[in-house]
Amino acid sequence: MPEPPNRKARAKSAPPTQENRDSDRPTLSPPFDVEAFARATAAAGAAPAGEGPPTVRAEVRAEQVTLTNEVELEIARAKSKRRTTPPRRANTPTALSMANSRVPSATNVPAARPAPAVGAVRSPAAPPPPAATPPAADAEPRSMSPSSIEAAVLGAIGSPAPEITERTIEDPIAEMRTRFSLGDYSGALEVAELLLAEDPADAEVIDCADKCRTVLEGMYAARLGSLEQVPAVIVQRTQLRWLSIDHRAGFVLSLIDGSSSLEMILDVSGMPRLDAMRILVELIAQRIVALR
Amino acid sequence: MERVIGIDLGTTNSCVAILENGSPTVIPNRGGYKTTPSMVAITEAGKRLVGHIAKRQAITNAENTVYAAKRLIGRKWNSPQVKNAVATSSYRIVQGPHTDVRIVLRDKDYSVSEVSAMVLQEMKVIAEDYLGETVSKAVITVPAYFNDNQRQATKDAGEIAGLDVIRIINEPTAAALSYGFGKNYEKTIAVYDFGGGTFDISILEIGANGVFKVVATAGDTFLGGEDVDARIIDWLVQGFKEEHGIDLRQDRMALQRLKDAAEKAKCELSSVRETEVNLPFIISSGRNEALHLQRTIDRKTIEDLSADLIERTIDICRQTLADARLEKEDIEEAILVGGMTRMPKIQQAVADFFEREPCKGVHPDESVALGAGIQGSALIDDKQDMVLLDVTPHALGIMTQGGYFEELIPQNTTVPTHRTKIFTTSRENQTAVKIVVMQGESERAEDNELLGEFILTGLRRAQKGAIEIEVTFEINADGIVSVHAKDLETAKEQSIEVTASSGLTRDEIKDMIDGAKDYMVERRSTEELEATKQEAERLIGEIERLFPQVEQIVAASDFGRDAIEKARAILGKARQAIAKREVVAIKAEVEGLSRTHRMFKGVVAKTH
Repeated sequence: MPEPPNRKARAKSAPPTQENRDSDRPTLSPPFDVEAFARATAAAGAAPAGEGPPTVRAEVRAEQVTLTNEVELEIARAKSKRRTTPPRRANTPTALSMANSRVPSATNVPAARPAPAVGAVRSPAAPPPPAATPPAADAEPRSMSPSSIEAAVLGAIGSPAPEITERTIEDPIAEMRTRFSLGDYSGALEVAELLLAEDPADAEVIDCADKCRTVLEGMYAARLGSLEQVPAVIVQRTQLRWLSIDHRAGFVLSLIDGSSSLEMILDVSGMPRLDAMRILVELIAQRIVALR
Repeated sequence: MERVIGIDLGTTNSCVAILENGSPTVIPNRGGYKTTPSMVAITEAGKRLVGHIAKRQAITNAENTVYAAKRLIGRKWNSPQVKNAVATSSYRIVQGPHTDVRIVLRDKDYSVSEVSAMVLQEMKVIAEDYLGETVSKAVITVPAYFNDNQRQATKDAGEIAGLDVIRIINEPTAAALSYGFGKNYEKTIAVYDFGGGTFDISILEIGANGVFKVVATAGDTFLGGEDVDARIIDWLVQGFKEEHGIDLRQDRMALQRLKDAAEKAKCELSSVRETEVNLPFIISSGRNEALHLQRTIDRKTIEDLSADLIERTIDICRQTLADARLEKEDIEEAILVGGMTRMPKIQQAVADFFEREPCKGVHPDESVALGAGIQGSALIDDKQDMVLLDVTPHALGIMTQGGYFEELIPQNTTVPTHRTKIFTTSRENQTAVKIVVMQGESERAEDNELLGEFILTGLRRAQKGAIEIEVTFEINADGIVSVHAKDLETAKEQSIEVTASSGLTRDEIKDMIDGAKDYMVERRSTEELEATKQEAERLIGEIERLFPQVEQIVAASDFGRDAIEKARAILGKARQAIAKREVVAIKAEVEGLSRTHRMFKGVVAKTH
């Protein structure tokens, strides 16, 4: 939904209080061209630490679509997760690092409880982390995908998401709690799953993961409607290969035969129900599949 | 008169048939398919999947999907077939409490009979849905080489599924029945059965008065259409690897799609000369893009890929004829059974071997079930003059000195029967003899199945060969085998009663029957809920579609405002009932919804 222009102007002129900072955050444009700045810093290589962002421009960016729907946020997030381009290792703040700055995962945040050895978890396909480079607070290498809000920011500025390969979480439990409290259920679930890989018996983490799954499943279920509906591929077979989907979505697409119900497809997909539901929601949102 | 269904419980696919108005008919499942994959799976959510739906996730959920359970049914844990299955199966096979075999699905152990019962239960449901009545009696087919334990285990599976298995018949016999139904043939035929998972060749003599005698049978329980699929998959994987450097076998989802595509291509190539395998987005390239697989495969390629497999079946045919001391000329008809026999190359190979065109008068996928359906009907209908006699599937005898097997009751002997033979002691001053009862056709005892043993003691000390012991084998009408050994000098006697065992106790079977019943009750109530819910949702949709028009009409008049409010209330209550998933409440609301729908339609129709 586009935001009313007067609200944006107010946000720009008035000093932010805690209250309006919270309410305005999703629609407040950065006071400079983030995209151009990100490109410039990436091109210039590593800038000296402490160098600030460019000065505030006279005009804010043109009004853009703001993602407010949780499902859309999840889709945007999933898209950003699929990116596998090489990591950007700039020490200067980038669009992503600024978006990350709200996440209380900085190295100096005191741990609320001893952190299990989840830090520095890497995706199996990712290259090993650079050994000697100390990570900067805002440009740390990561292994986890951005949260839904981050994805929304990335989607809104339209720039490609940087590769996410590795990230050290000082206090994963706190991270999980924060993400959950912010309504970033996918992000919270992701952290919870990493934690459970280390300690499968952690009651709090299990509880949080279950809650996240329930909420996310509910979200996707609401979007899909009755699972007795039969999905059909509405894109011509000859054009299928030109779609921008990954092989997992391609697999789900191959299960859609025009006679199997959503429930059946979820059963036979062999992937976690949540993943299959998310992919189905995406395929419908992209108008590749229609329900009848 | 109660219906009896005939079930072909196959290794890869099962089929159910009945005799309807004097004509044998195969019953299609809900998807319209006449065969149902003999596969059972348990999903992550604990849901049971049977048939096509289980097959579609067989690779992506391989650890929890059982296929080819028939290869294990009634077998002992230490048998070579079980060892082979343990080594090659994707699901976990463990030893049961009675040296039987159990399958682990989602951390729960299931007996093989229990798994087969799930397939049989599905076939029962298919028949019941088609007939609109409860079905409780069945004839089930088994391979001719199945021993008593395997037959008993199949019977147990039927019982667990809620079926009274009134007869177990041999698959080639069923195919022959279907071939000879109403034709009064008297000839020797070969049944070449190349199915999805197994190959069997059987030579039968069809005699007068409906006597079908299996003269010889052989086969390979690990040779079938799936091996051809595997060859096609290899071919596709290799081609893709050469093109992209990626091994598709590494990805389960890709492999599942390849399996489905290979099977589809194989079937298509029986009727067309070439076909295209097109699998978009088969795998990720690792560079933020998905790769597509697109290849054309022709009949020549698939024939080359499966040439050695076809040759193996012909070798088995050759050996079987030799074992039965028959010549090719003795075979008056070769009947093709099993989906693989649709392949032109196989038809040609059979024609070349038997030196005659094979009979295509029977349906390759359906003939066994049709034969079982015919037999089922004959068993309860006195008017039908066809008689299929119960025969012993294997020879029965005892082990003698030197590890040899002495046959007392030959294979295919009509039961009830009894035979007696005199044996002597084999050692000097022997005071006891051990009677080892066995089943099988091999001259060497160790190759046959042990059924039981007992000792006859108190023999007089004498030279070897001086004491005579009379051994009697008796099979009663229920198939129970009794063996008596009698010292002819003293008339001292010992005996044993041999009953086939599936490896399950009566208590275990009873528990499994209860479990199967509970599952059916739950399944039927879920189906009822879904059907009622769908009807309610359909009516809600219709009413909502008419609502704006009706509101407009009512707004322009002085009447009907109450009706609008009532309709809103009905919609609200119906939605609540759906949300609560209470079938009785939804049913109650459907009535109100129907009334409202009729009224709305009437109002709109009148205005137009």
